[in-house]
Amino acid sequence: MTDETKSGLDAVDEGPVPSDAAGPTQVGVVPDPHSHPTVAALLERFGDAVYGHRIAAGDEHVVFADPARNLEILGFLRDDPDQRYDLLRDVTAVDYGGGRPLQVVYVLWSIPNRRSLRVKCELPLDALAIDSVVPLWQAANWLEREVYDLFGITFRGHPDLRRIMMPFDYAEGHPLRKDFPLRGRFSRAEQTRRALSQDVGRFYTEHDIEIGREPQELPRAGEETPGSET
Amino acid sequence: MGLKLPGGGTSARSGGIFGAGSPTFLTSKIDYIVNWSRRSSLWPMPFGTACCAIEMMASAASNFDLSRFGMERMAFTPRQADVLICAGRVPYKLAPVLRRIWDQMPQPKWCVSMGACASSGGVFDVYSMVQGIDTVVPVDVYIPGCPPRPEALIYGLMMIQEKIREESLTQHAALRAEDPLLVARPNATDEEMTGLTGPFGNSTRQEKISAGVRVLPDRGSDDDLLP
Repeated sequence: MTDETKSGLDAVDEGPVPSDAAGPTQVGVVPDPHSHPTVAALLERFGDAVYGHRIAAGDEHVVFADPARNLEILGFLRDDPDQRYDLLRDVTAVDYGGGRPLQVVYVLWSIPNRRSLRVKCELPLDALAIDSVVPLWQAANWLEREVYDLFGITFRGHPDLRRIMMPFDYAEGHPLRKDFPLRGRFSRAEQTRRALSQDVGRFYTEHDIEIGREPQELPRAGEETPGSET
Repeated sequence: MGLKLPGGGTSARSGGIFGAGSPTFLTSKIDYIVNWSRRSSLWPMPFGTACCAIEMMASAASNFDLSRFGMERMAFTPRQADVLICAGRVPYKLAPVLRRIWDQMPQPKWCVSMGACASSGGVFDVYSMVQGIDTVVPVDVYIPGCPPRPEALIYGLMMIQEKIREESLTQHAALRAEDPLLVARPNATDEEMTGLTGPFGNSTRQEKISAGVRVLPDRGSDDDLLP
């Protein structure tokens, strides 16, 4: 018995299909820029470097910015006394497929103003590099490593840019890209062989192990530490 | 009296355990003694990576109390453990860790694959996930479930006990042989692992389900399945 109807399982067999190349990547409602005070300030100060403004998912304001000036714009958002986006909630990336540019997404939160903003920078597939924001927010360190690992975007000036999720010797590419096959590029046998040939002892650097030791050196409650007598 | 002394039992002095004139010692099969002691003190090495580990913890806690069956103590070092309980999904990055723990465990040792993900990859038929830990380490008992109930884990461990009961010291060399060359090598052949990449990909090799119609080979009547 055969059937001609295609199902999701056939799609698994066939592998990934490129998405429709047409269609916008700036999705959402185009609002009045003055609906968000930060967007108005950004347009006033970096008019030509701000490419667009959308509202997504109800009330999330998204600003599309020039990737060449991301440090300048994000530094302004962090340091300007009217903005003060001092919490970097997330750095991630989006691949819409079909050869469209990858988007690096910065999710910001201003603790004093209780305001949220997303900044997106679009990177063409042949130039996947952007300045690291670790000098602005230390929280970006591992987040950018994750984006580098899973999307293959290079962050210039990152202090320690290496894989964080996948094995360090992973040779199949960057798994969250739309052109990556669901089951990876190698056969299961090759993947298992490669996995078992990893040197477990080299998973962690000396520095990582030192971080793990630190809490044991903290003084316990009620215990006198050297130098605390004075 | 079922107990016989080698040589007739008449040489035993009086004052034996069954009264005057009875033997002062018991005979039994050494297999029975060894297997009894092994199966009555199975120390598990927990390797919990996901939600199955929660059920494993519940099994060890007072409500289910694994130690009633001789799993007296969770051994958090592989060198003092008898049975490896792999509870949860194992990504390829963790596969060498699992294999090293297995290689570090001294013989005799057994392995329990707890849950759908450890046994077959489960729903995670993706680039990062080991499709059944039997491609990495030899597995004695597979426990189905997502996650299995603590009763299922206890039942699986009791199946290990049954397996130990059947062992004989004369088979020990064959059962417990380890080749140092196979340390950190996959436990499955290339053909077996390639076979995992079916429509569902996992080691249960389920039939393809397409558009709601199950495509099965023509197998005649159901009576063929009966013994």
